Amino acid sequence: MKSSLFPLIILFTGYISSYAQNKAVLYDFQEIPQALMVNPGMNTFYNWYAGVPFISGIYAAGATSGLTVNDIFAADGLDINQKVRDRAVNALSKRDEVNGIFQVDILNGGFRGQKDPANFYSFGMYVEGYALNYWPKDLAILAYEGNADRLGQRFDLNDLNASGQFINVFHFGINRQIKNNLTLGARIKLYSGILDFNSTNNSGYFETIVGENNLLRNTLVSDMRLRSSGLDALLDASDNGGGIGSLLTKRGFFGGDPGLGFDLGVTYNLNKQTVITGSILDIGLLYHTSDVTNYTLEGAASVEGVEIILPEALSDPNADFWEDLVNEIEELIPFEENSKNYVTLRPIKFYSSIRYNFGKQGEPTAACDCDNQPDSGDRSLYYLNSLGGQLYVINRPRGPQFAVTAFYQRRFAKVLALKATYTVDKFTASNIGLGMSLQAGPVNLYIMGDNLLSYGNIADSNYASLQLGLNIISWERN
Amino acid sequence: MKYIPKYLLPILFCAGILSSCAEKQDFDQVDNLDITPTAEASILYVETPESIINEVNGINIFSQIFNFDAFNEQFFADNVLDGVVTYEVENTTSKPLDITFEFLDDAGNSLDSENFSVNAAPTAILRREIAYGPAGRSLDIIRNTSAIRVSAINLGDNTSVSALPNPTVFLRSSAKFRIGLK
Repeated sequence: MKSSLFPLIILFTGYISSYAQNKAVLYDFQEIPQALMVNPGMNTFYNWYAGVPFISGIYAAGATSGLTVNDIFAADGLDINQKVRDRAVNALSKRDEVNGIFQVDILNGGFRGQKDPANFYSFGMYVEGYALNYWPKDLAILAYEGNADRLGQRFDLNDLNASGQFINVFHFGINRQIKNNLTLGARIKLYSGILDFNSTNNSGYFETIVGENNLLRNTLVSDMRLRSSGLDALLDASDNGGGIGSLLTKRGFFGGDPGLGFDLGVTYNLNKQTVITGSILDIGLLYHTSDVTNYTLEGAASVEGVEIILPEALSDPNADFWEDLVNEIEELIPFEENSKNYVTLRPIKFYSSIRYNFGKQGEPTAACDCDNQPDSGDRSLYYLNSLGGQLYVINRPRGPQFAVTAFYQRRFAKVLALKATYTVDKFTASNIGLGMSLQAGPVNLYIMGDNLLSYGNIADSNYASLQLGLNIISWERN
Repeated sequence: MKYIPKYLLPILFCAGILSSCAEKQDFDQVDNLDITPTAEASILYVETPESIINEVNGINIFSQIFNFDAFNEQFFADNVLDGVVTYEVENTTSKPLDITFEFLDDAGNSLDSENFSVNAAPTAILRREIAYGPAGRSLDIIRNTSAIRVSAINLGDNTSVSALPNPTVFLRSSAKFRIGLK
């Protein structure tokens, strides 16, 4: 049964979840309350909102760099072995990756403070899963072609870099208009880790050279580790034929690995039409304490086969040179297991934007019993058009990744808002995204997608994301 | 009718976002994927100084069985496709020698052997490659090998000493095998 669960885990870690996480279309989309999740300092115009449980925020994305499904599996009549060799093994670099993420809002709501209307509070709970796997270039060559006829080539063990996490997040945020032109926001997050695995920061190499005595010398220098939390219990539950649901629920509601994180955000009006924003998300960590299993392979050894040097070798007539060699290697590079607790940092994300609003569509009509007076604060909603740019940075195991976005947003009265984005990042330079917020009375429906040009052949896409949700909103100025 | 344009845009938008196409993919191709790395490593190294040869009475200098389980490890035995075993014999002693490598099974039966007759120094290094698999000897020899016997016969005298520094017989060997991982 364990073996039957592994493909599901691989599927989950490799493709269903994604790690690109750049919500370029959602960012600063003020008509949508979930935009607060990517900038807690966004200007808010709601009295309150309530997300419809489980469908207020659904997000999934996947990204690959350097290779697509179509590159390998297109029904083009080419030999798959040649395609794998030419397009993957010999083409991809250690910086290429496959990643994925999903997020589902279980609960999401917010309300304006009664005593101090400048404050807007938001809260909720969501589950998130992500996985990231960098292309293990040298190890892939070793596995696909072997070490033969590669004298002196070092296979870098650092190429193995993979991680994944499945967590439940409880959050509470405060958003406050400090001044007419300044809004700040902060959110605290309590993580409850359900599942985690990672094998990062590996080092060492495997090398074959001409031997000093024998024909060849194989050398392994290794400092590798695989850490996991929650995996064994999941496999055991699978073996026992059930209980996975209750196990996930228990771990998701503070029965798993505890963690703490923060989000910070700001919106600042340079003038009536120009707004700059910024946010930094997931400054936090998880402490993995439950059901921890770690594997390590640390040490160094060089081998030139069984070596018999006379006359010393014959001093013990019962010597088993093969067993001695195996034992010596195992002593020099022990493969060990332990259950030491460990800490993982959340992937910190940074957003910033500049927005220019134009095409005034009218003043608000209702008076507001708050500091957020009609002539103050961000007046983006009162313009028909917004044009601007965004920057996104995420901290990754092999260094930060950047994405630059240009956007145009158009509002159609209070009913409809559309946002179009063009994003350039490591995955694609032709990422056109579209988002829509539809307000039908108090009901708000939003839907958005990325890299739409690739929808013509989604199998050949390096990046795709989809996000949608349903809310009930009471607007401050209805 | 006047409401049609109002809702047409969102409807078209949703339809556009939620629809996509994909060229035909053939995931059954994975059945044809062959992952067959070739691994190479040394097998056995034996070093015998001429002084040892001179101490032995008779011509049988040496005959020793060495346990060697690398080939009959389950994973290797099940997946080996073909390969080459390389031998190298270097003699800097003053004696001509007859050296035999034998692959033995669990019961000590000889599955395969390779013999080298090497002249007294100065002489060239003997190097020989033996193929196993479809283009060579049976792979069952490799799969069933659990020990290697090395025998050496002195075809010269027991007194002479080579003028070369540190006169020694060196026996070297390595294996290069292709393994079918998939």
